[in-house]
Amino acid sequence: MVQDVEGIIVVNTETIPGKLITESFGVVSGSTVRAKHIGRDITQGFKNIIGGELHKYTELLEESRTEALSRMVSDAIARGANAVVNVRFATSAITPGAAELFAYGTAVKIE
Amino acid sequence: MPTHNFQIRNPVTILLTIFIIVLSLDPVSAQSSNASVNIGELIGILLLIFGVLGVIWGLIWMFAYPIFLLYALIFSGKNLDNMILKTVERERAIISKFGKDILSNIDGGFRKDVISSGIVWAGAVYGPSHWHQLLGKLYNWFGGSIDIFQKVISAGRAESMQRLREIAIEEGWDEVINVRIDTSPMAPAAGRKGIKAVEVFAYGTGIKYN
Repeated sequence: MVQDVEGIIVVNTETIPGKLITESFGVVSGSTVRAKHIGRDITQGFKNIIGGELHKYTELLEESRTEALSRMVSDAIARGANAVVNVRFATSAITPGAAELFAYGTAVKIE
Repeated sequence: MPTHNFQIRNPVTILLTIFIIVLSLDPVSAQSSNASVNIGELIGILLLIFGVLGVIWGLIWMFAYPIFLLYALIFSGKNLDNMILKTVERERAIISKFGKDILSNIDGGFRKDVISSGIVWAGAVYGPSHWHQLLGKLYNWFGGSIDIFQKVISAGRAESMQRLREIAIEEGWDEVINVRIDTSPMAPAAGRKGIKAVEVFAYGTGIKYN
């Protein structure tokens, strides 16, 4: 989990329950573009014929989201914040093989 | 990327391979080449290897695809029902254990006795089988609701919400507030070819009571 590693609180609510926000540092964001390698494409292509869940893609997106979130957190740390509130995620596919995962939120200082 | 329009691609590959073989057997180019390796010849050999690999891959795909499609025809509907049933079972187990659903999509600003909070998220990529895609196309001609696709997406949504519950419990949160659910296509630009799947992604703020 991100907040355990970096020591900062990340939530997707506007306020942090039980905490008081004293200062805002603006919007911070982090993104990654990840592509799947061809071996995965072939096996998942076969899986797609049968239908159901594509586990490898789920894993891939999870890894990418973790990376996007940790980039956002390091941006927040660079601004001197100790929490990120109102985090939102967005996904966009650039080409069939690659997807962009984007996370953004507001860096704040809490007491 | 594997595609299901193997009928179109394979003759092209085969023709290309034959063309390359004919070129490499050309006596004029054989005479002009010296003892050292000719770059044109090297490229020819490489192309030949790729062509042969392509043909082998095409043949495997040609035989494997109908088998997979037959499997999808017989089992994919049943598998989908089983997946939904399993998810519902897990969901009920957790709700009966905690006495309520731990997910809610309201903002928890009013809660006073919270000691810690943090983000939790879970995702699942689900795709309809090619048999279902064919049926979906058929239904598309007549219009109306396409229940098969709806079923696949709601199975994915139930699964990702269930994972969110499980992850939240695993990480020690008592409740998850402000839950949001996003759905995005895996590859919209793929068009007719490629993998058709949607990613359902659920996230929220885990909170821990005093």
